[in-house]
Amino acid sequence: MPDIKVTPLGAGQDVGRSCILVSIGGKNIMLDCGMHMGYNDDRRFPDFSYVTQNGRLTEFLDCVIISHFHLDHCGALPYMSEMVGYDGPIYMTHPTKAICPILLEDFRKITVDKKGETNFFTSQMIKDCMKKVVPLNLHQTVQVDEELEIKAYYAGHVLGAAMFQIKVGSESVVYTGDYNMTPDRHLGAAWIDKCRPDILISESTYATTIRDSKRCRERDFLKKVHETVERGGKVLIPVFALGRAQELCILLETFWERMNLKAPIYFSTGLTEKANHYYKLFITWTNQKIRKTFVQRNMFEFKHIKAFDRSYADNPGPMVVFATPGMLHAGQSLQIFKKWAGNEKNMLIMPGYCVQGTVGHKILNGQKKLEMEGRATVITGTANNVIPHLASTLLDVKLQVEYMSFSAHADAKGIMQLIRMAEPRNMLLVHGEAKKMEFLKDKIEQEVFVRCISCYMPANGETTTVVTNPSVPVDISLNLLKREMALGGPLPDAKRPRTMHGTLIMKDNSLRLVSPEQALKELGLSEHQLRFTCRVQLHDPHSDTDTLGRIYTHLKSVLKSYSIQHVPDGTVIVESIVIKVTSSAEEPNLKVILLSWSYQDEELGSFLSTLLKKGLPS
Amino acid sequence: MDISSDESDDWFIESLNTYKDLHVFQLEHPTKVIEWTGDKNICVAGYTGSRSEILELLLPLKLYAGENQGLCAERDFKVQHGGFSEEPIESLIHISGTRCVVTSGSSSSTLQIWDIGGDDSDVIKRTGVINLKSTSVKGCKIAPGLTDEPAVLHGSCISEVQLTEIATGRVLYTVAKESSDSVSGLQFVNACVFLICASDGTLFMGDTRDPSTCHYPLEDSKSGLHWAFGLRSDSSQSEPSGCTVARLSSSGHMLLSDLRNLQSPFCQTQLNVQHDASKNDFLNVSWAPVLDRCLSVSGFDGTVHIYNTINWSTEGQSPQPVFSHRGHEMSDEAKYSGSPPVVTTHSWHQSRPKTILSVATDGSLHVWDWVDKITDR
Repeated sequence: MPDIKVTPLGAGQDVGRSCILVSIGGKNIMLDCGMHMGYNDDRRFPDFSYVTQNGRLTEFLDCVIISHFHLDHCGALPYMSEMVGYDGPIYMTHPTKAICPILLEDFRKITVDKKGETNFFTSQMIKDCMKKVVPLNLHQTVQVDEELEIKAYYAGHVLGAAMFQIKVGSESVVYTGDYNMTPDRHLGAAWIDKCRPDILISESTYATTIRDSKRCRERDFLKKVHETVERGGKVLIPVFALGRAQELCILLETFWERMNLKAPIYFSTGLTEKANHYYKLFITWTNQKIRKTFVQRNMFEFKHIKAFDRSYADNPGPMVVFATPGMLHAGQSLQIFKKWAGNEKNMLIMPGYCVQGTVGHKILNGQKKLEMEGRATVITGTANNVIPHLASTLLDVKLQVEYMSFSAHADAKGIMQLIRMAEPRNMLLVHGEAKKMEFLKDKIEQEVFVRCISCYMPANGETTTVVTNPSVPVDISLNLLKREMALGGPLPDAKRPRTMHGTLIMKDNSLRLVSPEQALKELGLSEHQLRFTCRVQLHDPHSDTDTLGRIYTHLKSVLKSYSIQHVPDGTVIVESIVIKVTSSAEEPNLKVILLSWSYQDEELGSFLSTLLKKGLPS
Repeated sequence: MDISSDESDDWFIESLNTYKDLHVFQLEHPTKVIEWTGDKNICVAGYTGSRSEILELLLPLKLYAGENQGLCAERDFKVQHGGFSEEPIESLIHISGTRCVVTSGSSSSTLQIWDIGGDDSDVIKRTGVINLKSTSVKGCKIAPGLTDEPAVLHGSCISEVQLTEIATGRVLYTVAKESSDSVSGLQFVNACVFLICASDGTLFMGDTRDPSTCHYPLEDSKSGLHWAFGLRSDSSQSEPSGCTVARLSSSGHMLLSDLRNLQSPFCQTQLNVQHDASKNDFLNVSWAPVLDRCLSVSGFDGTVHIYNTINWSTEGQSPQPVFSHRGHEMSDEAKYSGSPPVVTTHSWHQSRPKTILSVATDGSLHVWDWVDKITDR
């Protein structure tokens, strides 16, 4: 039976890393290649041994698709392509291609430089990996090879995030990656047409949540900033250059304007250039509102927000600063943090996830004392065994810490909206515990707008096989159709399939069903008819005509369901088999029964000759 | 993109000062019921459409993080259990100490009994029914019994009110009153004493140990009004002496009575609200479980009003609310829909003094904690 196989790689109920293998129409595709951020050892990489026990993955995969630049979706890509080995195409959208290497490099720096890891990909590997990337545009069908095609749809969530449709013949799968169904200040909502894929693959992490509104998250953000500034404190917001920083700046600018606030807001200069650069490049990926504004003015020309200079960090009084990098692992944001951490009037707002090993991660876990590397070199040890190392100082974290997640994910309602948009035949949810999602499964399966829907929830490492019913469109020649109709019987009915015979011609990309004669003609071959002849001797005292009559009667009683005719010209015809009786003048009682049949009736012909050899009943 | 000088944006900015916490959610289908099934769990259920979902939701953990609130980013509701009902759900009650809830549906001839379920499954399963003598468009009114053996008090008209044991279906008690008045609400005061409020405002007090019930009609009963009631008691095992009953009419008339003297309310006042007969369904008056003598009112429009009844007197003008939550009128959904949303019900948090959950006809679900300008500054 034709089927599609889906296997989410990973162990047990692990959430936090996306890497899904799909086998469809003889093609193998890897969807996302994420790193598990919670582990320090090999468990952070997906287990590629599922694809092949040893060696390179190139011949086993037709392509790799990356949905967006978050590390839990692309973090293991350089490892996979350069350390395990894959040379085939890697597909992603243009913004993802531009931003991925930056995040991967940052991540590599943290892991190798800060944590001293050795089994990790290098900067060169990231570059080599990105050379294999084939960027694509939204709604553009890309032929991976003659049979496999893919198409990207807008997913919202982050800049450049896409949902992918993978199609082979009439079978298709849609993978959502991370998506969002409500538009926000800088991104639109996910959209897909009624493409009716055989399987819609989606994360179930947020499937059972009901999300608090964007407005309320923003409200809390403004409230915290306002409270801090009112009491004379300083607010540090570490950000990555894209998206969130923009949104939050716009939010603060408008708030400052409305409330007539005077405290200065700064953003680090590195931020401006990068952000502007990317927004100019990918303006079509943002929503309508941003595009309109960008046309009117430069994204970062705010009335109340100015460029930061490192000396400002020592200025007295309240202020708000947006600084990179986002996880407080190095650079300007860390510098500022060190200066402000000791004062409880100050506040640190973390707008996103922080990788293990970063200062950001430690603080979000509630750590109040942090070891900071100093500059001075200290020598310890004995005269024979000198150990130089950097002196570390202990930093007291007294400022207030707020973890505010602004990332947009679809929740229970969002999943249903997407299902109604795409109308999949089956639904597959990854990263959930099946027994904790039975209600959702029931709900999806009973969705009235979409019929025949089954919901699968494989555990990591488990393969789901979904049987498909692909329809193969075949053109049928009019002659053949007429001939079939002439045979009589019930009219063609979708619920009552009927076997018919013809010749299938597969040429270019079309399939045609024609009569054998027409096929032969088209192929320029002459038609040959094969007929078999057999003579059976029989002793029968009757006249030739009577003997024939007796044969006719005999056959009619034996072959009740066949068409048997007694033709006046002296033949009996059974289907296409012709039976004649002759005798010689010398021996009138020795009858020779001549049987002749065409190749198609070989079986019946054989049967008749055997039957008649046994003689006729008296 | 910029926060425009839209009324709802104004309200959101204002809310920085007027609310301590504010969370706005959108349910897929609106609910008329909010019932606590645990410290951190509530049940809601759909009433539009023939097939309704019953959901048990876990409140956002951020509300419970205490001092670590800053480090907790969890501000979403989690659907812990869900089930399907074949009828729109008008009322839902939880039997304390169990995982059992009972629902009554519109025009239904039975009450449905459900098991919410534990950790091993997320499906809410129906475990049985209780047959009713008659059906009512607004559904039968129900209240949990307060005895050890789970039971439910139910009835759509006074003469049909009875107490049924859930496990066996046995009728434990029947009200002996011959009255076809429809029931607006009923509730147990303690294990044996119960109150019924009829739609016309008449109160009935009964005791399951005694077949007769006493009734206390309103002195000045105006026709066409619908009444709802809210009982304030110190605990679930109260004696009548510790209890106050508030009765609210669809025209905003409020009566406060002491259970020892239901004949004469000790306070009457007129709230400043709009009367709209079509919204009788959603009238709700509730007493705050922690704040002293505070009650809340909703169902007239998209607002929830909080009043402090300490200074109420029978003479004098309409009391001013201590706080009014207008969030449901300010949502994005409300902006674009034809008719403004109406709050269908609200419920006080059981331990946080000023936290309320409210839901409206547009499916919005709000959790809010307001700032008392006097005490919180």
